[in-house]
Amino acid sequence: MLNEAAIKELNEIRQKYPNARAALLPALYIAQREFGHLSPEAYEAVSEILGVPKAIARGVATFYVMYKHKPMGRNIVQLCTNVSCMILGAEKLVDFLKNKHGLEPGGTTSDGRFSMVIMECIGACGTAPAMLVNDDFYENLTEDNIVKILERYK
Amino acid sequence: MTIQDKTMITININGNEIKLEKPVTVLEAARSAGIKIPTLCYHEQLEKYGGCRLCLVEVEKIPRLQTACTLMVTDGMVVRTETPQIADVRRGILEFLLINHPLDCPYCDKAGECELQDLVEKYGPAKGRYKEKKRKAPESLEDPVIVRNMERCIMCTRCVRMCEGVQGASAIAVIDRGGHSHVEPFSGGKYDCEYCGNCVSVCPVGAIMSRLHRHSYRPWQVKEKTETICPYCGVGCTVVAQVRDDSIKRVIPKIGSPVNNGMLCSRGRFGYEFVGSSERLTSPMIKKNGVLEQATWEEAISLTAKRLGEIKNKYGGSSIAGIASPRCTNEDNYVFQKFMRIALGTNNIDSAARTGYAGTQTFIENIFGQGATANIIAGLSNSDSVLVIGGDPTTINPILGLQIRACSRKGGNILAIGHIKGLEKFNPLTVSPRFYTETVLLEGLVSALKNKKGLSGSIPVLEAKIKDINTSAKEVENRCGIAEKDFIRFTDTLSESLTPAIVLGKDIVQSSGGSYKLMLISAINYLMNARIYLLCERANEQGLLDMGCAPDLLPGYRPLAFAEFRKRYENAWKSPISEKPGLSIFEMVDSAKSNALKAMYIMGENPVFNLPNSKAVTAALKNVDFIVVQDIFLTETGKLADVVFPALSWAEKDGTFTNMERRIQRLRKAVNREGMEDWRIISEVSKNMGVKLNYSGAEEIFQEISRISPLHRDLTYEEIEKGDAIYPYKGEPLRGVMEDIQMHKGSSVNPDGKLYLRLERPLFHSGTLSTKAPALVKIYPEAVASISPSIGEALSLKSGDMVKVSTRTGSLELPVNIDNKLDNLSVMLTNNFENKGAFSLMEYTIDPVTKAPVIDANEVKLEKSVRLDSEVRA
Repeated sequence: MLNEAAIKELNEIRQKYPNARAALLPALYIAQREFGHLSPEAYEAVSEILGVPKAIARGVATFYVMYKHKPMGRNIVQLCTNVSCMILGAEKLVDFLKNKHGLEPGGTTSDGRFSMVIMECIGACGTAPAMLVNDDFYENLTEDNIVKILERYK
Repeated sequence: MTIQDKTMITININGNEIKLEKPVTVLEAARSAGIKIPTLCYHEQLEKYGGCRLCLVEVEKIPRLQTACTLMVTDGMVVRTETPQIADVRRGILEFLLINHPLDCPYCDKAGECELQDLVEKYGPAKGRYKEKKRKAPESLEDPVIVRNMERCIMCTRCVRMCEGVQGASAIAVIDRGGHSHVEPFSGGKYDCEYCGNCVSVCPVGAIMSRLHRHSYRPWQVKEKTETICPYCGVGCTVVAQVRDDSIKRVIPKIGSPVNNGMLCSRGRFGYEFVGSSERLTSPMIKKNGVLEQATWEEAISLTAKRLGEIKNKYGGSSIAGIASPRCTNEDNYVFQKFMRIALGTNNIDSAARTGYAGTQTFIENIFGQGATANIIAGLSNSDSVLVIGGDPTTINPILGLQIRACSRKGGNILAIGHIKGLEKFNPLTVSPRFYTETVLLEGLVSALKNKKGLSGSIPVLEAKIKDINTSAKEVENRCGIAEKDFIRFTDTLSESLTPAIVLGKDIVQSSGGSYKLMLISAINYLMNARIYLLCERANEQGLLDMGCAPDLLPGYRPLAFAEFRKRYENAWKSPISEKPGLSIFEMVDSAKSNALKAMYIMGENPVFNLPNSKAVTAALKNVDFIVVQDIFLTETGKLADVVFPALSWAEKDGTFTNMERRIQRLRKAVNREGMEDWRIISEVSKNMGVKLNYSGAEEIFQEISRISPLHRDLTYEEIEKGDAIYPYKGEPLRGVMEDIQMHKGSSVNPDGKLYLRLERPLFHSGTLSTKAPALVKIYPEAVASISPSIGEALSLKSGDMVKVSTRTGSLELPVNIDNKLDNLSVMLTNNFENKGAFSLMEYTIDPVTKAPVIDANEVKLEKSVRLDSEVRA
C-alpha cells in the first residue's frame, strides 16, 4: 500500500482535475515512484484511491512507453538514437555501453544501478548525441564523458 | 431539446426517401428502411465508436466518405451506401484487418457466424498483398471459462465498451498501443470479473469465446434454437438454448427480449450444464431396508399412493405436508397444491419462499394492495434515485443490478444502507449503521421524511404507525455511528427525489425485528411515493405463491381465510377445501420433530440443505414415516426419502414462470429426456389414489388456471408468448382490507467483541443446483469463510489458510478469504456447497408476522487449523 504522504499527494492531484480519470497520468507517476515501477499493486493502489477500475488504469498506462512497466534500476539512462544523434555516433555509444559496461537497451545492470532505455528525440539535435539520466540532461556525449557522467550516479 | 426534435426529417438513401421523426444516425435510418450497411465496431447495445470504418458512405455535399454509425441525419441529406468507391474502400479496410487476422477459420469456433468472415465473403479481398509475418499471440487458456485469441482480434473494442459501459464491470481494457494493442483482463490471463460473458456475446470474431462448447459443434449444425426462460433467479431473463443431439451446446441472450435485452449473467450464460450432468436421477427409487434401490415407475407410484392413502385415513390430512418448488413451473406448482388440497385434504403447503420473499411480499401487499411489488425492472434505470437495502442486487439479481448501475450512469443517485460491493464503483451514497442499529437508522429516515414530506392521509393505518416514530438525526448519530451531516445529506438526497425506487433484499426480513423494519421501509416507500422491488432468488418464487403454494393462500394469491374464495375453488375442483390454514415450512419441521407429521411430499426442493439449522431439520425429517421427493438430483433430502422420483429439468419441459415483476413468461422444452414432468408424476400418484388430475399437457393446466384464478383470468399461452402477460394481466388484483399492521420489534443484540456468521449470497451460485454446473464450480470452486483483514491478522490468517468455524450447532473446516470490504464482526459463508453450507451452522427464530427465519444472531468462533496435505489442491 501507499504511505500516507503519497495518498495525500494523490488526493491533492485528484482535486486539480474535473474527474478521476483525468488525474490518472500524474497519479500513475506517483505510484510508479512509490512502488519502483507500475506493478499490479501500484495499479491497485491508484485504482483504490481514484476509484478508477484497475484494468482501465493499466490500459491507460500501457499506452505510454514512458512509464516503467517492469522493475528497473536505481537510475534510468535515456539515450536518444534519432537522426541527429545517430549521425553523431549515438549507436556507437549504445554498443560501447553494452560491451564495456553491461548496459543494454531495455536492460538493467546486474547491480541494479542502471537501466537503459532508447529514447526518441529529446530536442537536443544541435548538441547531439544527448541523453537524460533520471531528470538530468546531458549533451555532446562521447565515450569519455559518458563514463564520467555515469560515475556520478550510484 | 431543440425544435428539430418535433419536425419531420427526410433523408434519401440509395434513392429511397425515408421520413424520420427525430434525428438518428444515418445507419439507424438506413436499417429502419431495411437498407444494410456493413459494420464491425457498431453494436446496438453499445456507445457509438466509429472505429472500424466499414460503414463509410457517400453523402452529397460532403467531400469525404462519412461513418454512417456516427453521422446524424439532417434534413434533405442524400446518401449512397453501395458505390464502386465504397466497395473499394471496404475491401481495403478488410485487407488491413486481414494483415494480422490468422484466417484459421477451419479451426475457429466462430466460423459460420463470424462477422468478419461474412464481410470478406461479400467484399473481398480474395488475396492480400502483405507479405509480412502475422502477429503472433498464443491463445489464452488461463481462464476456466473464457478463452481469448488475440490473433483474431480486430480491435473493434466492442467487448471493452460492453464491459465498461453496459455491464459496468470494467474488467478488461485495451492494453498497449498501435499494432501491439490487445484486449486483456487486469491479470493478463485469468479473469477476475463477474463472468457475465457479455463480452463473448458482442465479439464479432473468434477473439473472445466461451470454453464450454469449444470445438464441440459448428453454428450451422445447431438445428434447435429454443427461446426459453433462465432457470436461476427471479428476474426471468429470456435465453436461447442452442441444442445439438439433445444436448444444450450453448445458452445465449436475445437482443430485444423484455427483461434482459441481450444481457446475461454468469449463472444464466454458463450455468446450464447441470441439465446434462451424469449425476441426474434416471430411475425412481424406493427405500428398502434403509437403502434406496431402483424401482419401476409403477412400483414407485403405487407405493406412494398406497402409503399416502393409509396415512391420510389413519391420521387425517393434517398429518401430511407438501413442499413446493420455486424452480418448478406454475403448472407444476398449481397441480401440486391442488393435489395436496383435494387428494390429501390439507393446506399444509409451503416452500422455501417462506425464508423471506413470501412474508415480505404479503406484508407489503397488505399495506399497499396486491401488485405493490410488481414493478418493471427496466424502469429502475429511469429513476432519479434508488435506495438499496438488505442485499447486493448485483449478485442476487444481476440483471436488475445492471439497471441500478444504468441509473447511476444516467445521473441518478444510488443510496445504500450498508456497503454494497457490486455498486461501489457507481458513486453510491452509503450510510453504514453499526450492527443491530439498522432499525434506528430506518426510524430516523422515516422521521426525517415525515417532516419533509408530510402525511397525505391515504393509508391511515400506516400513518398511525408513522406518527409514533420520532428519531432525530442526533439519535441516529449516537446510536448508529453515522455522522449527523452524512445522515442529513442522505435524507435530503432521498427526499428531493421525484421518481424514487427501493430495492429490498432478504437480509432485512431475516434479521431480528424483520417485520418492524418492513413497516419502516413501507413507511419510507409511502412517504416517498416510491416503487418497491423485492429481490427474488429463485426463478418462480413469485409464481408458486400466485399458484397458491402457501398454507394460507389459494391460487391467484387469494387468502384461504375468505369463504368466498374457498367456495370458488371448491366449485371448480368439485371437492371440499379445508378451511384450516396449513403449516408453514418451519411449522412443518416443528411438527415433524414432535412426531405429529407422518408424511411429506417434497417437489423440487431440498429443505434439509436450504433451511437454516440443517441438522435439526434432518433430525426432524427422520421422524417422518413416509417421505416422497421429486427432484433432478439425489439431494440431501432425497437421501432421507422413502420414494424418490426423477423429474424433468427446466430444459426438458414446457410451462410458465412468473418473474419478480409478475410477468408470466413461457418456458419451452429444449431437449428431450425420458421421464415425467413434476405435475405428471403428481397426477399419476393422484390417479392411483382415486382422484383424477388428468391433463394432456402444460397448456391445459394453464387453461384451467386462467379459467378459475381471478388473477389470471382469460390469460392464454398465446398472449404470454406475445409478451402481453404483464401484471395485472386481465384479472382482478385483490385490494387490501387491513385493520392494523402486525409487527414484531425483535430483541436487541449487543455485538461487542463477538463474531457473527452471516450468509453470503454469491453471484456464481444458486442453491445446490449451480454446483452441478462445472463452469460455475470452476469460477467459484469451494466454500470459503470470508473475513476482514483485521480478524485475519488477529488470528494470523491469510487467504487460503484453513480455519475452523464453529457455532452452537457444529463446526466446519474451511479455507479463509480475506476481504478488505468486510466489517470486523462478520464471518461470511455461502450455503451452496455440499456438507459446507452456512445453514448447517445457523440456528433461527421465527418472526411471528412474516414467519421468516431470523438468522442474524449466530455467534461464531474461529480457530486457525491446518489443512491436511491430502486436502491441498494440486
